[in-house]
Amino acid sequence: MAEQGENMNKTDTAPEPNQDELILAQQRQIEKEISDSIPLVGDKEPITSLNNEYSADNIYLEKIIDLSKKYKYIRRTRPDGNCFFRAFSYANIERLLGKPDEFEAFYKIAESSKDDLVKLGFQQFTVEDFYDTYMEVLKRLKNIENLNDALKELHVIFNEQGFSDYMVVYLRLLTSGQLQKEHDFYSCFIEGDRTVADFCHQEVEPMYKESDHIHIIAGCAALQTCVKVIYMDRGIGKACTEHDLPEGSAPTIHLLYRPGHYDILYQ
Amino acid sequence: MAGSALRRLMAEYKQLTLNPPEGIIAGPINEENFFEWEALITGPEGTCFEGGVFPAKLVFPADYPLSPPKMQFTCEMFHPNIYSDGRVCISILHAPGDDPMGYESSAERWSPVQSVEKILLSVVSMLAEPNDESGANVDAAKMWREHRDEFNRIAEKIVRRTLGIPT
Repeated sequence: MAEQGENMNKTDTAPEPNQDELILAQQRQIEKEISDSIPLVGDKEPITSLNNEYSADNIYLEKIIDLSKKYKYIRRTRPDGNCFFRAFSYANIERLLGKPDEFEAFYKIAESSKDDLVKLGFQQFTVEDFYDTYMEVLKRLKNIENLNDALKELHVIFNEQGFSDYMVVYLRLLTSGQLQKEHDFYSCFIEGDRTVADFCHQEVEPMYKESDHIHIIAGCAALQTCVKVIYMDRGIGKACTEHDLPEGSAPTIHLLYRPGHYDILYQ
Repeated sequence: MAGSALRRLMAEYKQLTLNPPEGIIAGPINEENFFEWEALITGPEGTCFEGGVFPAKLVFPADYPLSPPKMQFTCEMFHPNIYSDGRVCISILHAPGDDPMGYESSAERWSPVQSVEKILLSVVSMLAEPNDESGANVDAAKMWREHRDEFNRIAEKIVRRTLGIPT
């Protein structure tokens, strides 16, 4: 077949310079610089390390003072569009380490999640590898008795691109599954005339797509957990804005949001 | 994670062999290398590409299915969404960030739960219904819009060539 193709007369085979491809190449270069300089998930750093990023910005500096009254540490994630899912997935497992009962309860939720996705119409072979990786990671961590060893292992796993990205994908799929399962509820939050399924295919399932409120709410529901998001921007006021998601819940995970990016916070 | 990519590609090949979609055959060119596939696509009925059998090559990245494959027809093609060198330009082959052609926001995008089968089905729809807003081949887009008869004649010639019938 290939031979047949090569014998075809082509009228125009000279590759023309393509602006679109140049733009994409430049985008790839920027992404590469980010991935070379920032780990997927960083070490815990003192909250005051944020000052270095805003040395000439009084609005942010004042908000960091406010933030430091409530939180001691920050763990940065790579700004690659997956930061919410990576931070959330990491922090969710981290909070379970050293708590065998809670870990076991979550393990059971995760274990049955693939069947739910298949029931919702995901093709089994597209979901399987991500599910298997997710469960393999949970199993590996479950079997480590010493808490510090488990925390170290979690950190290593989340900085191995292959594992880390598969953890992100699976959480994206669980979030998509949650949105589609409760589509009547979530459809009110989707702008335009997109269906919930369209929204999931375009905004949730693809890698590097940034997350909004709706992703977080559905992600929390999928993992049966609660998140507090601290919003820090150049808005008026000395304090950061806080949101517990879902509203009125007792959050176990704390995330710092700065326009376009999520990191993990620790009290 | 080339190991994961290989596992997934083997699963997709099996799936496509067991349940082949109508008018489409696809698989690795050589079973030693699962990252290069060949596909044969039959021109959809009732369109100017009807009856043609179009060969194409799919090349998969090491991080498939996180990133999409690239697809290129290896026969002569004349179509608004196919570059003159045969590369296919449709939204499902692009992640949402890669938006040089300014696809409609509602267009289907690449994600890890898409598949070779879905790509090939999208290509069949593309053959049936060109998107003349995305100008991978501007001449073809213009002709499709303004001189449909001429477009159909060229398509018919291409169909005959893929079948080895003198034109």
